Amino acid sequence: MTEKTVEIKISGKTIQAKLGETIVNALWESGIADSVKTGCAGGVCGACTVTLRYSDGRQGGTELACMKAVDAEMEVFPCPVEPDDPVMPVSHPELSHLQSAFPTLNRCTKCGSCTNSCPMSIPVMDSVLRMQKGEFQAVAEDFTTCIHCGLCRFVCEDKVKPHTMGLWLRRSLGLSREAKIEKNEDNNDWEYLLDEDPEARLEKARHYRRKGNL
Amino acid sequence: MMQWAIESLKKLESSRRDRANKPAPLPGSSEAEMLLKTYHPDYLGNKRQLSVGPNAGDQKVPLELAQLLEGDSAIDNLPNPEIETDVLIIGGGGAGAAAALTLEGSGLDVHLATKLRLGDSNTVMAEGGIQSALGPEDSPRRHFADALVGGHGDNDPNLLQILCEQGPESIRWLSQLGCLFDQNEKGRFRLRGGGGTSVPRVLACRDYTGLEIMRVLKDAVRLTSTKLMEEHVAMEFVDDGNGRVTGAILFDRSASKTVCISARAVILATGGSGQIRLQGFPTSNHIGATGDGLVLAYRQGCRLIDLDSYQYHPSGASYPEALAGQLVTEAVRSMGAQVVNAEGVQFIDEMAYRDVLAAAIIKEIVKGRGVKTPHGKSGVWLDTPMIDLKKGPGTLAHQFPGLIHRFERYDINPTKQPILIYPTLHYQNGGIRVDSECRTDIAGLWACGEVTGGLHGKNRLMGNSLLDITVFGRRSAQSVLDNIPKRGATTLTNLKRFREELTKIESPEVSPKFFPDASGMKLKAIKIEEKSEKEISKFEPRNPFNF
Repeated sequence: MTEKTVEIKISGKTIQAKLGETIVNALWESGIADSVKTGCAGGVCGACTVTLRYSDGRQGGTELACMKAVDAEMEVFPCPVEPDDPVMPVSHPELSHLQSAFPTLNRCTKCGSCTNSCPMSIPVMDSVLRMQKGEFQAVAEDFTTCIHCGLCRFVCEDKVKPHTMGLWLRRSLGLSREAKIEKNEDNNDWEYLLDEDPEARLEKARHYRRKGNL
Repeated sequence: MMQWAIESLKKLESSRRDRANKPAPLPGSSEAEMLLKTYHPDYLGNKRQLSVGPNAGDQKVPLELAQLLEGDSAIDNLPNPEIETDVLIIGGGGAGAAAALTLEGSGLDVHLATKLRLGDSNTVMAEGGIQSALGPEDSPRRHFADALVGGHGDNDPNLLQILCEQGPESIRWLSQLGCLFDQNEKGRFRLRGGGGTSVPRVLACRDYTGLEIMRVLKDAVRLTSTKLMEEHVAMEFVDDGNGRVTGAILFDRSASKTVCISARAVILATGGSGQIRLQGFPTSNHIGATGDGLVLAYRQGCRLIDLDSYQYHPSGASYPEALAGQLVTEAVRSMGAQVVNAEGVQFIDEMAYRDVLAAAIIKEIVKGRGVKTPHGKSGVWLDTPMIDLKKGPGTLAHQFPGLIHRFERYDINPTKQPILIYPTLHYQNGGIRVDSECRTDIAGLWACGEVTGGLHGKNRLMGNSLLDITVFGRRSAQSVLDNIPKRGATTLTNLKRFREELTKIESPEVSPKFFPDASGMKLKAIKIEEKSEKEISKFEPRNPFNF
């Protein structure tokens, strides 16, 4: 089957790519995999951040190279983002904790760049405003899908660190939770299950799993 | 969209209402066995016996892996150790991170080396959840029984007992680090079923469970005194001249040079090998999963087990092309999405064991009941709209935001349209043999996580690998703390001994691969002439079901 190809540019270098494949795939096939840092190639590790421009004037922006399909007139520029220094989470976080841990919180000018930059479609700017109001549960929900690529921080001219604050809040709320874990300490059935004979062991396991006891 | 499959889509939609309340056929044990023997890739791939190393003359292993295990090291001379540490952890996924956190505060000097960045791993890609016996009808014994039956009885019972007994404690530990697992209205953990669980036992953070665990572990490790060596590739172990592992030779990718590090103990947590892409299968694995740890440990004399057993996840995406091979979590099936062929027929229960379901899907395609994509790939339908039909509108979108997010950008809305799936190489069931304290056959070397074998038998249940990396990552570190050896000399004696045996092999290739063949990436440490030699002997992978 012949597949349609397009030309794309990566840091100014023109390569051929199959329509429908991802930017990362196109780089691999052209033998220049190293030109964009890549981790999972599945859209969750945040390594392969790039900026895009279209020579025909279409709106570009930031993307993950492993998730974005190539297109005609596409120009790709690597945009690796270094992680912020981590901040120790606290139990039962309050607004004052957040503000002292992240002094740039209130610098947000509501330009919306962070929201536009997010490859996971998180409403980043709205969430920063929620942080300012101390609506932490909602923030934790907003950042459920955050892959920590750091693009929101990268594009922020006021050095707000939405993704790092999001994780700090999620961890802080997480460790404040009372994890209700009841241990089932009745260990009587192990002797039955750990039969020396593999065949008998498997048979006993088959039997045991039906009811969960003897 | 998917106009090219419109006829089949119509059949699927017209059978949906009927299927919704109809029990699906679950294959009996003899039927399941037939399916596996006839259609499962484990039974069909080319294999051979090894003639070098501890597994020589033993069970056959896939050709692609045999070639790596009987490959030669790229190291020809021993650099002086530039760094001295107490514990060297190799691998920056969940298991390595859990080990680092456990060593914190011990007073030991800890280095963690990873080929990519901290957190770039299969852990971060895990979607569906983590098992732990927390339900009212549940117990670690029941968890054990389920996993043993799922693994066809081949699991190491001692390792499995530890895994199941440590489940609740592991969830407590992860929660205290700040992992937010989904809860129900009563503020208790929401437990879902998984293939082969007899009661609901899978905790999740939507369909981003691995991401949640990994980003928390990563953040926590970065707050410890662990010295991170990112972009450092482990190329070889060094030993004390009497068999004990005493460090490693790493390649620093950014400085383009080798570094020798002397360590009193080494914890190997390099993960799996899906990127070897056995038989040309697609993979759901991250790009570092090239089996490096297996190769390095084998050269030292570590015995490997169950290497003929890989997990082909039944629901890898087959369309769009950009997502080919990527995982569609099993949790989607546990919530009611059925598996349906091109004729709109639900040919098997969607919660059959992963290996059986993968074989059944391949059978449908071989028998001409699959759907072909414009890119020449094949698949069957995963009827995702069934979830909202069964569990109420909005359920899919709320519980599986990742699924929606990925497919929406290709104009497929999984709440309205099914997803085309084909099995994808997902997990290395076998690996390095370890005892219950994560010790390998070689002193000084511990191993944990996907790089090890035995725990999951021949088929791992959903949610047991995230538990594996947590339990055994911590356990390996505890064992190191309890038994840390004194510093030893650094030599290449073990490698030399392996090379003497290797003279049996005609022009061995350089291994490990470090990066997927498909990526074309090469480690700068590997010399040009060796590269060209390797290309001559290159094994052409064969996919028996390449239509």
